[in-house]
Amino acid sequence: MTNTTRRTALALATLALAGLAGGPSPAAAADPVRVGLLSLTSHAPSILAAGKGYFAGEGLDVGFVSFQAAQPMAVAIASGDVDFGVTAISGSLISLAERGVVKVIGGALQETEGVPGQKILASKAAHDAGLATPADLAGKRFGITTAGSSFHYMAHKIADGAGIPRDSIELVPLNAVPTVIASLKSGQVDAWSIVPNIAGALVKGGEVVEIGSVADYIDDYQVTVIFTSTALVDDRPELVQRFLAGFAKGVDDYNAALVDKTMSEADTAAIVAMIHEYVYTDRPLEAADPAIRAGAMRINDGGRLNLTSVTDQLEWFRSEGLVPETATVETLVDTRFVQTY
Amino acid sequence: MPAEGPAGDDDDIRPVPFRGGGFRHVPLGYLSPLVFVGLIALWELGSRTGWISSIALPAPSAVFAAFLDLVETGMLWQHLRASLLRLVVGWTLGTILGIGVGLAIALFSVLRAGLAPVVAALFPVPKIALLPLFIVWFGIGEGSKVATILFGAFFPTVIATYSGVDNVDRGLIRMGQSFGLAWASIVRKIVLPGAMPAILAGFRISVSISIVLLVAAEMIGARFGIGAYILTAGALFAVEQLIAGVAMLSVIGLTISRLIGRAEKRFLDWRG
Repeated sequence: MTNTTRRTALALATLALAGLAGGPSPAAAADPVRVGLLSLTSHAPSILAAGKGYFAGEGLDVGFVSFQAAQPMAVAIASGDVDFGVTAISGSLISLAERGVVKVIGGALQETEGVPGQKILASKAAHDAGLATPADLAGKRFGITTAGSSFHYMAHKIADGAGIPRDSIELVPLNAVPTVIASLKSGQVDAWSIVPNIAGALVKGGEVVEIGSVADYIDDYQVTVIFTSTALVDDRPELVQRFLAGFAKGVDDYNAALVDKTMSEADTAAIVAMIHEYVYTDRPLEAADPAIRAGAMRINDGGRLNLTSVTDQLEWFRSEGLVPETATVETLVDTRFVQTY
Repeated sequence: MPAEGPAGDDDDIRPVPFRGGGFRHVPLGYLSPLVFVGLIALWELGSRTGWISSIALPAPSAVFAAFLDLVETGMLWQHLRASLLRLVVGWTLGTILGIGVGLAIALFSVLRAGLAPVVAALFPVPKIALLPLFIVWFGIGEGSKVATILFGAFFPTVIATYSGVDNVDRGLIRMGQSFGLAWASIVRKIVLPGAMPAILAGFRISVSISIVLLVAAEMIGARFGIGAYILTAGALFAVEQLIAGVAMLSVIGLTISRLIGRAEKRFLDWRG
């Protein structure tokens, strides 16, 4: 028995050694980099770049740190516990940037023509009572997570576009996306706006009705951005450059597989399986597959950043008094790394 | 030998100091403000010298400025009124129900056998985890907020009450019985006053739990309230406002603790 075990162990060790020697040897000193991750399809480029070895190709040894919400991730990046993250522009992010600890370095999720974007939803009850278009939102309850979240921004932009006063929509802070969903389904709030894959699942359930698209009210909305700590931007710009290069390759795969659907079915399935390691892990791959594929929004190739949209969002935060007056595009964004437009 | 004994003892006569006392609280009212002022001064000094980064912890002066903003805009009263209302209604209802159920469990064997395990099973359920369900059950108005605090205050009160009654001096109860007191009379004159120290100690715990749950309760659909103010400050990473809000909760806790101290003096004066 002892002999067998020892022999097995030896064989395993030999195999492992052979594997190490035979495989593509990683760069002599790969830089360890920690990337914050939310279990959302929109975070797939990092997952793909790690899974397909794009980060390794840039000499980065990427480890993922999972978060439940974007806000703690922003704080973790500020404190230096995490190096890179992708999040919607929120009051927290702008405030941390104004304090000189984080910087936006690129763009990610983007509303674009021809790709289904974020939806405006109404509860079945409110819809039956006459909430048919966003212009009917006056006097209605609109679910948001917190003040200064992207939902808050969208609600006000929808009001502006629909020609109703911003304060005519009653904003109900519910703190977390699952709570907003519960409230919308049970008719405790009348309306909400959310990315298409969540919206699609809700509408299919029958308790929720789609009444419009966010893209009709916000021009070229840059929904999420890539950000990192100011320390990294100042001290190790080449590392940031390499991260973005790896990320961009992940973006190309994501767009090709899920948005443009130019990739072969076999390759797409492989990419979906790779994403499934981190997203919808609570269900089997067969069940997660359609949810991952449905309603994927475009992510800007090369991490391009829509500065016009970012500026508009920043202006809104300042006009609502949610961030200090001293917060500017300069304190928020470092434009050295990606193409801006 | 026997005759010499007392004579020898006479030489040993000495005053015996009073050895009681000790283990007795000496009121040192001036000490606690000194500790607070000292801690805050240290903290301010640390912030001024840059030893404490403003990201990690804002300076007390910045926190105070955020608090003054609240006073100037008049938002302070709106937040305070909303939160205190929820606290008072939720805690009062929870306490009344808790004392009622606690007494029932303590006095009636059938209820003890039936309800005590239910209480033990439900007490550790985190109310925060049930928030999505509370929305469906009680709505996103005041109902779910009051309910969260009510449940938070209810369970510790039940347990404090029935264990308080269990610890009432059996000798006193038997004395009442041998004097022929009616059952209700024993409960009112012996059991309740005897359980009062435990019930009031339970109040201290249930009030603190209620204040903790206030923040959780105001996660759901609250535009005003100190919990909502803290959550918004956290979401915007406005740490000065965050600490100002937390400090307000502390002050509320301190004030209520003082009030309970008064109540203890009033209700427990029978102990002498």
